[in-house]
Amino acid sequence: MAALVLLPVVACLGIAALAALSGHPLALRYAGILSAAVVLGGGLGLVAVVLGGTDPTAAGGLLRVDALSAFMLTVVGFVGLTATWGGLSAKMTGATGRVYPTLVCLFLGAMSLAVLADNLGVLWVAVEATTITTAFLVGHHGSRRALEAAWKYVVLGSVGVAIAFLGIVLLYAATLASGTPTLSWVVLDQANLPMDPSLVRVAAGLAVLGFATKAGLAPMHSWLPDAHSQAPAPVSGLMSGVLLSVAFYAILRVQAVVDPVIGPELMRGLLVTAGLLSLAVSAALIVRQRDLKRMLAYSSIEHMGLLALAAAVGGPLALTAALLHVLGHGLAKSSTFVVSGRILATEGTTTIAGIRSLFARRPGVAIPFVVGMAALLGFPPFSLFFSEVAIVVAGFQGGLGAVMVVAVVLILVLFAGLARHTATMLFAPARADDVLASAPPAGTDAPSSQPDRASHGPRLPLVIALGATAVVAFASGPLSTLLAQAAALLGGTR
Amino acid sequence: MNAGAAALAVVQVVVMVVVSPLLVGLMRQTRARLEGRVGAGVLQPWRDLRKLAVKETLRAAGTGWVSAAGPLVLVASGLLVCALIPLVGAVPFVSVPDDLFVVVSVLLVGTVALALVGLDAGTAFGGMGSSRHMTIAALVEPTVLVAVYALSIPVGSSALSQIVRARIDDPASVASPVSLLALVALAIAVVAETGRLPVDNPSTHLELTMIHEAMVIESSGRDLGWLELGSWLRLGALLGLLGSLLVPWGVAQDASVAAVLIGVVTLVLKLAVLGCVLAAAEVFVAKLRLFRVPELLAGSFVLAFLAVTASYLVVQAG
Amino acid sequence: MSPVLFAELVAFCAGLLLLTGVLIVWRRDLRAIVRLLAVQGVALSVLVAVIGIDARVPELVAVALLVLALKGFVLPVVLVRVAGPAGPGRVETPTINTTASLILLALLTTLAYLVSQPLKAAGAGPAVAAVPIGIALVLFGFLVLASRRHAISQLVGFLMLDNGIAAVAFLIAGGLPLVVELGASLDILLVVLVLQVLTGRIRAEFGDLDLDDLSELRD
Repeated sequence: MAALVLLPVVACLGIAALAALSGHPLALRYAGILSAAVVLGGGLGLVAVVLGGTDPTAAGGLLRVDALSAFMLTVVGFVGLTATWGGLSAKMTGATGRVYPTLVCLFLGAMSLAVLADNLGVLWVAVEATTITTAFLVGHHGSRRALEAAWKYVVLGSVGVAIAFLGIVLLYAATLASGTPTLSWVVLDQANLPMDPSLVRVAAGLAVLGFATKAGLAPMHSWLPDAHSQAPAPVSGLMSGVLLSVAFYAILRVQAVVDPVIGPELMRGLLVTAGLLSLAVSAALIVRQRDLKRMLAYSSIEHMGLLALAAAVGGPLALTAALLHVLGHGLAKSSTFVVSGRILATEGTTTIAGIRSLFARRPGVAIPFVVGMAALLGFPPFSLFFSEVAIVVAGFQGGLGAVMVVAVVLILVLFAGLARHTATMLFAPARADDVLASAPPAGTDAPSSQPDRASHGPRLPLVIALGATAVVAFASGPLSTLLAQAAALLGGTR
Repeated sequence: MNAGAAALAVVQVVVMVVVSPLLVGLMRQTRARLEGRVGAGVLQPWRDLRKLAVKETLRAAGTGWVSAAGPLVLVASGLLVCALIPLVGAVPFVSVPDDLFVVVSVLLVGTVALALVGLDAGTAFGGMGSSRHMTIAALVEPTVLVAVYALSIPVGSSALSQIVRARIDDPASVASPVSLLALVALAIAVVAETGRLPVDNPSTHLELTMIHEAMVIESSGRDLGWLELGSWLRLGALLGLLGSLLVPWGVAQDASVAAVLIGVVTLVLKLAVLGCVLAAAEVFVAKLRLFRVPELLAGSFVLAFLAVTASYLVVQAG
Repeated sequence: MSPVLFAELVAFCAGLLLLTGVLIVWRRDLRAIVRLLAVQGVALSVLVAVIGIDARVPELVAVALLVLALKGFVLPVVLVRVAGPAGPGRVETPTINTTASLILLALLTTLAYLVSQPLKAAGAGPAVAAVPIGIALVLFGFLVLASRRHAISQLVGFLMLDNGIAAVAFLIAGGLPLVVELGASLDILLVVLVLQVLTGRIRAEFGDLDLDDLSELRD
């Protein structure tokens, strides 16, 4: 059983070593997909184990799998598989061939370690490790903008995570003063240690502040549009799809532990502020976006803001909806980023103004794009629609009605902005005097009179991911049991 | 106690009046020897005072009573500071408090008097010197206050004599980090207040670099004599304060003859050593550009402030 | 170790940490601030050793050696390599002038003491009483990060922030479990190495390490 727990992390490290040392082209090409597949397999296996009733541990209790961990691991694996498989034929314009696959495998391993960790210190180490592994992935293109994005990402991310470390240290000190020094989440959650509220308050504030930086919540979000727009498309998909959610997962774990000690007001206040600010920032800036990937990055900020609001509301409905939203957003965002990578490869640009009448000219690329954007915009039957509605309803039930009204207004503004940009790219006719549309750069396909129905990359991962997003809201059985258990873990004492 | 304290004060004033010009002479001599010159001898400042006492006092047209009264106020404040600071003996007065704030206020009176003298003649250089002098004073006074306040927190009283007595009784407090931080800050403040390098060059002849010299540039004869003596008294008193805080042993704790004698001898020794060290350091240091001086003084203020916070830390832990 | 000696040593190390922090904000010469950071690392390791000896935990002494090696030696060497063939006495002008930064330091120290009030609940004793100094170091690191434009100054600010957090961790909790300590140290080392490579690329691309040049990405 411990082997199954250790499998995702160990496998990712092993595959990374294999890719780095062997340099075999086949290994380099499929290393990422293999790692993601192992993580997904491990996640599904652990889900089965957890639903069977046991919570397996490993590494002397440092790693522990409960319903929430198993769910998050599955999300990491699924989104990872979508991004790596879907990005398979994306042209890489960087120099080194071995660095990219190795770092992707290490990245997946770090995220797996983060969601499997029971010890909050190990969780922190893993989150910092994700910053380290993605630093060079963000700067992969080597251009001036990529370097700028990588620098900002590493410095801001590390500073934020350092603040979270201070919070964890103070939490440990609080347990020390109570007599049982521990950083184990399960002990903190269940043992009802007599911790000093003022100390825990400072610790909680700092930890949330730090992990919120990594999750891209405003006002600590300034690195996100740069990093996610400059990274290669599969990496952006991974980061937007699942890394932000892993940081959010850390916030949920901290919240579950501190709320019984200090009451829900502090965390609620912090998360409502961060959530509304994130929605406001992205709504304000979405209309001005000129770059497709940057637009998607702001959409990620919006969804993380929504998740923060859901965590602020608390209770079984909101938390279940939040977890469902994590899954749906992860799949939809990674698919959309993968398609944006294909758009870049075929059109030669990701500027919104430079991509015109995509639907007519390249339906093979445009159709997945439309479906992905529809999912992100929150159209039914995609699960994001149901999770967003559930969050709003839970908010009204939980007494945060005014907050939810503001949130809904902001979401509508974002809807309008995103829809407008999408429609411009898909349907707006190319202007006769539009230089960008008339003279495609060298290396891309010359415009022909026939619409380009090629998908420029594997279709299957996108179909699976977007299909899952459409279906999962209606799925019952193991998924709903799992989500209910995970939500109960988090909101046990509310 | 009051009579003893008064006698001690008189002794301190007399000793300082005699010793301060000698101290300045010693510092100039040290600097000269280190620079390879013969030097004018340790007694030269006294000879200068004697010369200035008999010279005719010329005042610029348009000056008023400030030019006549200013030098006297400076000397008076210097004498009062010498009486209040625990130099020879740390015996507290009953009626006149030798509180930190009183001493700093008296110093400030002298500073302002000097600045007004510089302004009174209406010359450009005088005004320039006065404005620079007041800028530095505005930055130095808080530092001196905060630095000595840091030393007073463990003692519980801001009377200078009490502080020195407490330091004699508890040798470990002299070497504590609070004390070291505060004394470093105080040393920088003293250097700035008394117009020594790297803040001001006392032997410069370039008017645009002058601070102190520019204010006395129009004075002559007896006025100049009083101004020089006042400045030397302040230098002696502040260095003596630094010496009493740094090495408190030897300061008389009562007004007996033996203790006073020991106090005088140790004071002269401390002043001599501190003077030589300061003069030697001046040989190796260049004058700071004026806009860099606030940086130095802000840094010393921060060190003094940190000394205060650190001393609260120690009080809470202890 | 006698309580008085312990208190004095803790006060000395904490004072040295604070003094090096002030000097790092004060000085503008890049090599000087890297050297000051090394001194700060040594002071931190001595502090950890003192706490370990007083609590009779040999693990902490081993951690102190790790801190000494990492923060007192390895990281400053890496930073000096980043500074590279920069010529004698590279100086930079900060965004906030030095006098204002120094006054800000005094305010930040006060803020650190105010913020640390709830942390006194972690216990009494000289170690916990020195926690505000760790918090002050964190705030000084933020000041350096915000007010400097050179990549090395920002790195020094980040490492000072990390020193402050480590100081708080050791003062308030006697260190964290060894696994976490090792992981955190490894993370810091890797972050600095990553930033070293990035600065190399930035220098190759932009010509020097003035981060004001990195301003193409904006909305």
